[in-house]
Amino acid sequence: MKIDRRVVLNFEWVLPIFVLSICAIGLVNLYSAGHNLHNSIINPPYMKQIYWIMLGTGLMILAFSVDYHVFVRYGYLIYGFSILLLLAVFLYGHITNGSQRWLVVLGFSFQPSELVKLTMIIALTKFIDEHKAQDGYTLGSLLIPFCIVLIPSLLILKQPDLGTALFLMILFFSIVLFVGVRKQTLAVLAGTGIFLLPLLWIFMKDYQKERLLTFLNPELDPLGSGYHIIQSMIAVGSGGITGKGFLKGTQSQLKFLPEQQTDFVFSVFAEEWGFLGGMILIVLFIALILWGFRIGRRARDLPGLLIAYGASISIFWAMFINIGMVLGLLPVVGIPLPFLSYGGSSLVVLMISAGLMMNVSMRRFVLQS
Amino acid sequence: MTKKAKKWIRFRVTAVSILFIVLFVGLLSRALQLQVISGKTLKALAEKQHTKNLVLYPERKMILDRNGQKLAVTVEADSIYADPSKITEPRSVSRDLARACNADRREVEKDLSKRGSFCWIARQVSPNQKQQVEALNIDGVHVIREPKRFYPHKDLACHILGFAGVDSTGLEGLELEYEKYLKSIPRKVLWGRDARGKRIYLGDNDSEKLMPGEDTGCHLILTIDSRIQYMVELRLKEAVELKEAKGGTAIVMDTCTGEILALANYPSFNPNTFTKYSPELLRNRAVTDCFDPGSVFKPFVVAAALEEGVVSESDTIDCENGSYIVGDRVIHEAQYKKHKKLLLPDVLKYSSNIGAVKVAEKLGKKRLYEYMQAFGFGSKTEIDLPGEVGGIVRDPGNWRPVDFATMAFGQGISVTAIQLVTAISAIANKGILMKPHLVKGLVDKEGKVIKEFHPTAVKRVISPVTADRITSILTNVVEGDDGTGKRAQIANVSVAGKTGTSQKFDRALQKYSSKKVITSFIGFFPADNPRITVYVMLDEPKKDRWGGMAAAPVFRDISEQILTCFNKDIELKRVADRGIEREMKIIEVSASGNFYGADNEIRRIGLNSPVPDFTGMSIREVIRAAHDLNISIRTAGNGWAVNQTVIPGKDNEETCITVFFNNEIR
Repeated sequence: MKIDRRVVLNFEWVLPIFVLSICAIGLVNLYSAGHNLHNSIINPPYMKQIYWIMLGTGLMILAFSVDYHVFVRYGYLIYGFSILLLLAVFLYGHITNGSQRWLVVLGFSFQPSELVKLTMIIALTKFIDEHKAQDGYTLGSLLIPFCIVLIPSLLILKQPDLGTALFLMILFFSIVLFVGVRKQTLAVLAGTGIFLLPLLWIFMKDYQKERLLTFLNPELDPLGSGYHIIQSMIAVGSGGITGKGFLKGTQSQLKFLPEQQTDFVFSVFAEEWGFLGGMILIVLFIALILWGFRIGRRARDLPGLLIAYGASISIFWAMFINIGMVLGLLPVVGIPLPFLSYGGSSLVVLMISAGLMMNVSMRRFVLQS
Repeated sequence: MTKKAKKWIRFRVTAVSILFIVLFVGLLSRALQLQVISGKTLKALAEKQHTKNLVLYPERKMILDRNGQKLAVTVEADSIYADPSKITEPRSVSRDLARACNADRREVEKDLSKRGSFCWIARQVSPNQKQQVEALNIDGVHVIREPKRFYPHKDLACHILGFAGVDSTGLEGLELEYEKYLKSIPRKVLWGRDARGKRIYLGDNDSEKLMPGEDTGCHLILTIDSRIQYMVELRLKEAVELKEAKGGTAIVMDTCTGEILALANYPSFNPNTFTKYSPELLRNRAVTDCFDPGSVFKPFVVAAALEEGVVSESDTIDCENGSYIVGDRVIHEAQYKKHKKLLLPDVLKYSSNIGAVKVAEKLGKKRLYEYMQAFGFGSKTEIDLPGEVGGIVRDPGNWRPVDFATMAFGQGISVTAIQLVTAISAIANKGILMKPHLVKGLVDKEGKVIKEFHPTAVKRVISPVTADRITSILTNVVEGDDGTGKRAQIANVSVAGKTGTSQKFDRALQKYSSKKVITSFIGFFPADNPRITVYVMLDEPKKDRWGGMAAAPVFRDISEQILTCFNKDIELKRVADRGIEREMKIIEVSASGNFYGADNEIRRIGLNSPVPDFTGMSIREVIRAAHDLNISIRTAGNGWAVNQTVIPGKDNEETCITVFFNNEIR
């Protein structure tokens, strides 16, 4: 593999600094979130998270070392591999909290649905790069890309993990709308969407319906399904402007908050660091995502643009949905907060995505070999 | 890429960026709303969740006698409670629980069927019952340790102590009267708790919040000497049973200070299980019940007459040969005795009713009434016990001639036992009426004295000279061989006293009953320097209805044993005179050490065993003790033992010990 001199000269510094800063904040927060939960555990989550960050950094380096065109070239293969992993979940998957999402490999549990978020972007990139439509896509030409997203979505829906399945859909439409569709197609898609919404309700599991209802009115069941959201809002709100201070968040330290190390990790942060802390974190995210867009805008070609844009928008939606959920703006769905929620799969995949964005940025002047 | 394409990309990216910024602003405003605008409300909500106000009751303080003997203590006891919301089968659970706790099954089931998360099943159960409940291992049934009031000596001093209920609140007696001292101020304490309701520490900064409430309570030190109390209760019980009386009261008071050394009512009760007794028995009848005092009232009439100078010892009173017409009634002597002319002292010695009426007539209604009030009749003594009554002394304007007459021998006036003791002590105490009290002082948990209750003089009732004169008359009542009080005599100590038998007013028949009587003896000793006042009253004795027969021997037994106790360990302390002119300073008496005769019997010893300390015992006591211990003894002198040939505690090497006696109290 030849490394162009210009690749080294144009090394992308800003993005990894953003990523690692957010990771560091996440670690500190995770330490606090687990402070009173795992006093006696030898290997507490924040320690594990450190190992994952180290592994993620390694993979990030790998991800920017190889020209991103190579990934795009083998896009379908990579995508296929991730679909196989999703299928494996059905056969050998590990069940926690009533859903089968985990694959245990060599003692590590891994969530293939997290990986699909990235591989789907690469597969879509490859398709769009190979099937350029000057005046936007028609309904027929969108069939294959729709299948690319539908297969993993259905598999994930079956786990069941409605949140991630919908997330893939949102990601798909974000990318397709970004590259452009015909006006009639847009109208048809919108119409179908509206038509499908009631159908979705029919296919939803009871607990999912309950979640949606309690999102609309948490007081419906304050100790049951509304508990998460009420506790989260109390925790966030009680933080006030400046917060209660590190390790002083009563609601999180006293275990009132559910899932405080994973999906509701932002509540812990907002309680302890307040409105100001939360804003600093969100601004860091904005900066990271806008920087990702900048990379995309300045990318040499369409695949570069789509990878950078796809990865950025993936981080954006995850962050927006998660924080929206924590603040009670959106229903409770299992979307982790990028870089902050505890969990290896999400973190590693996100760092690989970051590596690919760096890759695009660093190779913006290199001619394709 | 073409220029057009670049432009297209820039447009798209910018459009998406703007969309994102809008969404970010959405998040921001929501965070602003939650954290800044409704932050305070949500913070309060959070605080409500993770903190809990706990009311902490510091342990109820002890009640100790004057020697530090514990009379009322607080121990931890187990209570059973349940969380009805966690109990699925109230029927079977209540059956098991009721059996284990010895409770009513239906009551338990009713409690368990209620909504809510807390109900008591049984308070303060025995360790055995607690084990049984734990063995049942029912979800939602818990055991909690609660403080429980415990009276280690059971009936001892029950009417003085009273009792405290399950929530450690004083309900009767000193427990009620001194509630504010015994009970520390409960403090609200903020506890942190986690989502599972478990108590947790909120961190170092909050540690002071977790401290229990300020321990403001004080232990009570009583004037009661539990050894005397025990002995008095024993003697009273014996007498009540022997004379087949309905009940009885006995009071021992420190003559000069007003300190109550013992106060007993029989029947008594066990304050540990006070709920099992009828309210009648729980009352401290010595202060709550009043009755016609009978002849024990005569000394006050005579004292008043002497003080006013209307009579003197050398006066002869015509006792009308046993019947004296007043108004529309004929006054007789007790037991229809017939006295002709009696010297004033003999009116008391023979307890002549007619003599007393004559003395009262000389005094006149107004002055009699004034002196009755001065001696404290008709008003509360303000003793530190709840429920005291002042007795009934009618206004002299309403007295018919017969009322005035009978009042002279203690009928038609209602007094309490404590009033009588206080009033006679005024005579013994050179004319100064002292306020009776039961609490010597308050000490905090470190033993530091917080407050002392000093003897309080109420007023001077009669002059010291009159007091001496009436004392010598009363001494004659006991010491004279034909005196009505001769059964109260004690070897070596001169006693002043008066017997009394009064007819009870029968409410059913609306007249005085001749069958139902109250028989009593009141007195003090040593007559030349009175220190102890004792009052014994038996209610409706069936045998020996006359005070001299029934009550005087009880007085004697009690007094003898008090002398044994006191002279052995007597400790004389002169306390400051509180501005009241008198010849004698108040002498504070405090007893300590072992008390022979009650529960601490001197061990029997033989040759080569340690010799006991006889000091302070009377000759009788020394002989009795020596006999019990199998020691030969020789006595020398009169009065109380002051010295002995073998030093106490040394092994007995001599075959015969000589004990020296002296008539003077140290």
